[in-house]
Amino acid sequence: MQNKKTRVIGSIVTIIILIMLVIVSNIKIEKWHMAGNTINSIVLPVQNVLTYLKNKIAGNEAFFVNAQLVKSENEKLKKENEELSSKLMDMEMLKAENNLLKQQMNLVEQYEEYKSIPGYVIQKDISNYGRTIVINRGVADGVKSGMVVVSEQGLVGYVISTSEKSAKVQTIIDTATAVSSVITSTRDSIVVRGMLDSEANLKGTHIPTTANLLEGDTIETSGIGGIYPKGIKIGRIVQIINTNNIIDRYAVIETAVDFTKLENVLIIDALQK
Amino acid sequence: MKKICGILCIILSFFIIYFLQVNFFSWFNIANIRPNLFILLIMIIGLFSGKWLGPILGFVFGLILDILCNKIVGISGILFMILAILIDIICKNFSKENKLTFILILIGSTVFFETISYIYNSIIFSMDVEIVAFVKILIIEIVFNSLLTIILYPIIYKLGDKLESIFKQTKMNFQNYEVF
Repeated sequence: MQNKKTRVIGSIVTIIILIMLVIVSNIKIEKWHMAGNTINSIVLPVQNVLTYLKNKIAGNEAFFVNAQLVKSENEKLKKENEELSSKLMDMEMLKAENNLLKQQMNLVEQYEEYKSIPGYVIQKDISNYGRTIVINRGVADGVKSGMVVVSEQGLVGYVISTSEKSAKVQTIIDTATAVSSVITSTRDSIVVRGMLDSEANLKGTHIPTTANLLEGDTIETSGIGGIYPKGIKIGRIVQIINTNNIIDRYAVIETAVDFTKLENVLIIDALQK
Repeated sequence: MKKICGILCIILSFFIIYFLQVNFFSWFNIANIRPNLFILLIMIIGLFSGKWLGPILGFVFGLILDILCNKIVGISGILFMILAILIDIICKNFSKENKLTFILILIGSTVFFETISYIYNSIIFSMDVEIVAFVKILIIEIVFNSLLTIILYPIIYKLGDKLESIFKQTKMNFQNYEVF
C-alpha cells in the first residue's frame, strides 16, 4: 500500500518536473511580462488608493460628480466597444488572408523568370538531428527532385524526393546541406553549412584567406553547383570566429528565412527559365 | 485472431506516436529537443512480443519513418530491427519487471540508435561531425525519454503483459505440444 502511494507520488513529481522543464526551457525573455502582470496586480491597487487620496487632497473631485450620467455613458460605450471588437476581428481575418495572398503574389513576382509553383509547409522534421520539411506540392503539381524552394525572405532548400501530393525538402539549415555562396559586397566565395545545435544560424566555411569579412555582410547563392540559381539571399554574417590558423576561420550566418515560422514557399525550376 | 488484434494495436500505437512526434512534441519540448518515442515502442515490442515480431515490425516501422521524414531510406529500418533483436537477447539475461533495468535498456537503446544513425548520416552526406552539439542533444533526449518512461511505466507494463500473453503464450503452448 505504502509502496503504491510512493509510486503515485513519484509519478506526480516526475510529471511536474517534466512540465516545469518544458515551460522554463521555452520561456523567452519577452514572455516575462507575465511576471510583470503579477507584480502589477499587487502594486496597482495600492497605487490606486494613493492616487485617489492624492486627488481628494488636491480637491480633484469633479470626476465623481455626475456619477449617474457617467454610468449610462459607460453602458453605451461598452455596447459600442463590443460592436467595434467584432468588426475588428473580421478585419483582422481579412487582413491575414490578404497578407497570405499578397505574400504568394510577391513571391511569384520575385521569381517571375522561373517556372514556379506556390505551396506551403505541412510537416517539419521529427528528428533532433535533421531539418527536412514536407510541402503540400508533389508530382501531380509538377514538382521534381532537385527543384529549388524559396520563401519571400530567401533560400529555403531543395526538393530531395517527391510523392504524388507532397515533396520532401532538405533545408539549408540541415547539417547535410552545403551551399556554394558569395559575400554580396566583395564577391568572395564561401561554403555555407547547417549547424546541428541551431535552427537560426549557418556556418560559413572555406573562406579565402584574402577575403575581408565584416559583420552585417549579406550572403547569397553563387550559382555554382548546379542546384541553386545565382543571387538568392541566404542570410547575413553575425559573427566572425577567428582561429589560430586563418584557413580554419568561419562565419556565423543568420538565415534570412525564419525557419520556425516558415509557412509559404515557392518551388522554382532553376533549370527551366 | 488475438494475434492479429495485437499487431493492429501495435500499428495503431505507431501512428499515434508519429502524430505526437509531429504535432505535440513540436511545442512540448525541452530546449527545442524532442523525445524519441519510437525507440520506446520498439523496445516494448522487442521485450514482450517474441523473437520474430519485434525485428519484423521494427524494420517496417523504421522503413515507414525513413520514407516519411528522412533523407535516406533504410537506415532506421535496419537499426530498429537490430535494436529489437538485441533487446530480445538482453532481456534473457535481465529482469524486465524492474523499472531501473527498463530505463537503463532504454538509455542504451537511445544511445545505440542515435549514435549509429548520426555517424552513418555523417559519412553518407560528408557532414562535419559536431561532437559537443550531438552529445548535448543526445543527453537531453535521453533525459526526456527516461522521464516519459517513468510516467508511462504503469501503462507500458500493462501493455507489455498483454502483448506477452498474446504472443508468447502461443509459443509456449506450441513448445509444450512439441514435447508431448
